[in-house]
Amino acid sequence: MTAVSQASARPLDQGENRRRPYGLLLVAAPVLLVAWLVIWPIVSAVGRTLFQRSDEGAIEFTLDTYLFFFSDRYSLDNLTVTLWTTGMCALLLFVICLPIALYLRFSAGRLPAYVQSLAIFPMFVPSIILSYAFIRVLGPNGMVDILLNAVGLPKIRTPYLTPWGPVIGLVWDNIPLTVLILLSGLGNVSNQAIEAARDVGARWGQVLWHIILPRIGNSILVALSFSVLGIFSSFTLPYVLGPAAPEMMGPFMQRTFRDVNDPQMAITQAVITFGFCIVFGLFYVRSVARNQGK
Amino acid sequence: MARLDIANVSKLFGSTKAVDDFSITVEDGELVCLLGPSGSGKSTLLRMIGGFEKPTYGSMTIDGEEVIHLPPEKRPTGMVFQSHALWSHMNVFKNIAFGLKLRRLPKAEIERRVEAVLELVGLSGYGQRLTHQLSGGQQQRVALARSLVLEPKILLLDEPFASLDQHLRERLREEVRDIQQRLKITTLFVTHAQDEALSVADRIVVLRDGRTEQIARPAEVYREPATPFVAGFIGQMNLVSGVVADGRFGHSAFNVPAAVADGPATLAVRPEALAIAPASGAGMAHVHRVTDYGTHAMIDVELPDGERLKSMMPTADQWTPMQKVDLVPGAFALYRDNGVIYRADAALALAKPARKTRSTVHA
Amino acid sequence: MAATLPAPRGRIDFVGIGFAIALSVAIIFPLIVVGTWAFTEVWRYPNIVPQQFGLRFWNQTLSRADVWSALTLSLQLSTVVTLLSAAICLPAAYAFARMTFPGRNVLFFSFLAGHAFPKFGLLVAIAAIFLQLNLIGTFWGVVLIQLVGTLLFMIWIPVAAFQSVDRRMEEAARDVGASPLRVFWSITLPQAGPTIAAAVLLSFVGTFYETEGAWLIGAPGIRTMPVLMITFINNQMVIQYGAVLSVLLWVPSFIALMFARRVIGGGAFARGFGG
Repeated sequence: MTAVSQASARPLDQGENRRRPYGLLLVAAPVLLVAWLVIWPIVSAVGRTLFQRSDEGAIEFTLDTYLFFFSDRYSLDNLTVTLWTTGMCALLLFVICLPIALYLRFSAGRLPAYVQSLAIFPMFVPSIILSYAFIRVLGPNGMVDILLNAVGLPKIRTPYLTPWGPVIGLVWDNIPLTVLILLSGLGNVSNQAIEAARDVGARWGQVLWHIILPRIGNSILVALSFSVLGIFSSFTLPYVLGPAAPEMMGPFMQRTFRDVNDPQMAITQAVITFGFCIVFGLFYVRSVARNQGK
Repeated sequence: MARLDIANVSKLFGSTKAVDDFSITVEDGELVCLLGPSGSGKSTLLRMIGGFEKPTYGSMTIDGEEVIHLPPEKRPTGMVFQSHALWSHMNVFKNIAFGLKLRRLPKAEIERRVEAVLELVGLSGYGQRLTHQLSGGQQQRVALARSLVLEPKILLLDEPFASLDQHLRERLREEVRDIQQRLKITTLFVTHAQDEALSVADRIVVLRDGRTEQIARPAEVYREPATPFVAGFIGQMNLVSGVVADGRFGHSAFNVPAAVADGPATLAVRPEALAIAPASGAGMAHVHRVTDYGTHAMIDVELPDGERLKSMMPTADQWTPMQKVDLVPGAFALYRDNGVIYRADAALALAKPARKTRSTVHA
Repeated sequence: MAATLPAPRGRIDFVGIGFAIALSVAIIFPLIVVGTWAFTEVWRYPNIVPQQFGLRFWNQTLSRADVWSALTLSLQLSTVVTLLSAAICLPAAYAFARMTFPGRNVLFFSFLAGHAFPKFGLLVAIAAIFLQLNLIGTFWGVVLIQLVGTLLFMIWIPVAAFQSVDRRMEEAARDVGASPLRVFWSITLPQAGPTIAAAVLLSFVGTFYETEGAWLIGAPGIRTMPVLMITFINNQMVIQYGAVLSVLLWVPSFIALMFARRVIGGGAFARGFGG
């Protein structure tokens, strides 16, 4: 119908094509903050530990501080106890949280709602209060001792100031997120998939192994990454509840930095924790990015 | 009340032409329907009139005044969205009063006008309700009131009833038509439902792939579709490809006289214009299926090459599957190069025998 | 969350009861013990219940100057950090949600960087930088470190909030004559408001309880409530001081709990962590 040609037409919306980046201006402040206080410290930490000023004043490549760390008995003990604590926490979290998440996913009503709010509750208990409660309950002459004594049983060997102290505290602290992440993963397992498996004769154990676990594999890894990142360099709980020696990397770094006043060594220790967690960090970023893309 | 002139408007998204060289003049008080399948550019066109998209080329004037560079808040247009887009943190009164408040009207005046418009859309006394306490139809009426209260020169309706059920849709479109007639407000109405367009519009614009296929009154769009697309999109239509030679359109099952130049052509005939008769000779076509609708019967006829056509007959009685039949086209049209080249017996309906059956109602 | 396949009626949910009891003992019981200590004047081993209840230690705790200065400091710190964070993050969140600009996606995900590294290691690396800038032991040093901690929450949650505001609502407001600024103020902000408020609250409470940055960067000059609490525990001071402080400290957390339910309940929260 409209055959008038537009030979002399000129676009009306050149302005939009020019795309003025006002957006960049608005996001500049937080982005610069991340660059200055996250990216730069990491780059700088790696740089400062690998390139140090020698006695003559020239800057040269060196692995001195790393060599010291990995030849120092005490440092290695601290690293070992950190790895042990992280592994033990991850294992316990899996054993405790998967059943809870499975139960919450496949039941409805008031009782599961109560269980769920209990499982999420620790998220709202600051770790410092948790530390205090731990000492009052599991510490020497704590509530557990009182109750055992009342029924005529001997006292427990208190986990306070042993490697088990931080483990118990960290597991307690990490239950909510682990349960939430697993539960969100279980949300992707449809009832039909399970009913179909039951229909062809699978028992619950088989359903769990063949249907449910493969589907939530990713969520399990995310939960694992998340707790590893949090636990590996945790500070407050190991500092308050853990033994003085060997200590976990968090308190160790803090002591090296403040009490021993050796920032160079503290940064080296920090870079080493980065190294141990890099895989989990990358995996975490990848899954979050993928989730956001959906 | 106003006149809207759109001249040579195009809209490019990247290299895709969402709207291609569109022109129309909408007269004062007229209701024009923009009809087309999804992706035809009808919503983009409406949003350009409202000021939410900027045309790449062209001009738009309202009462002679160029509006193309005006942002939505400066345009004398009022838009009703498909999702109603009511502000859920305000009650009904505040939703409607928001635009008046921006114009700094006195409080009493605002109340008077909101009350009046609520009465107009049949929602008197609903002012203090929250939007989520309303039904879908009521929400859409509030959205309409929100636009009407500002007395826009042009009312824009973007598939306003698409999310409502069939009954409500029919009732609301009649109400909207009544209100529009009473206020004599110039209106553009986007829809993909042909029945909606046919029942409310003064004129219909049929769009496809951003281009205008036809602009005409509803009856004309139905009876004399300008292109094969319009023929197939509005109502039911049989479309058959064939060749014109020596003044006759020829196809395996039938041929009809058509005084046009030789060459390929598409024949379009409505089911009600395609009669069938028991085969007098060998019979090239046979009955495939008979569907009895009570008021009439629809006979699916299969041609030798497997094509099926629909024929509407008064009764189903005398037809049985596999029965050999002859086709007797009444009114038909021939199309070539996307335009009409020949119409026969246009008084009756539209077409002649054809090949491809298209049922209508596109989503 | 998705809960289906209800247990057949009439059968007792032993598994659920088991979980409920075990979790109650492990999670509620320790807190009750702390709460009891806060209102105890005398409780000698091995009595099961305290010999004497009373508010004496509330008076003693609340009359300590260090408690008051720590509380004031923590509140100041949280307020400053939250305000700063809102001031820089909310406009950024709006830009991420509604504007296109070069590098949008990369910049959006850059906020994950702070969470992809072990936190305390990162803090040590930052502390090394602060050491050169003489920010160690200063108020603003702690503000900066905590500001970084709030960025992810304060951008990602508001971005989701802004994105969930129906664009048609904003267009409808433009249509009736509102300027873009007015639309933001009257439509977008009220619509996204509750979720943004939750994010702001989370950042306030998170800052209030943040221990590690405050301890590493702030000590010894800056003593926030949690830092004070560590001192109390380490120095084995009167047991009740810690208990009273715990109960006091837990109040803001409880408010956060009430508000954050809506954010966390939706499962969107866990997804934000990559679940």
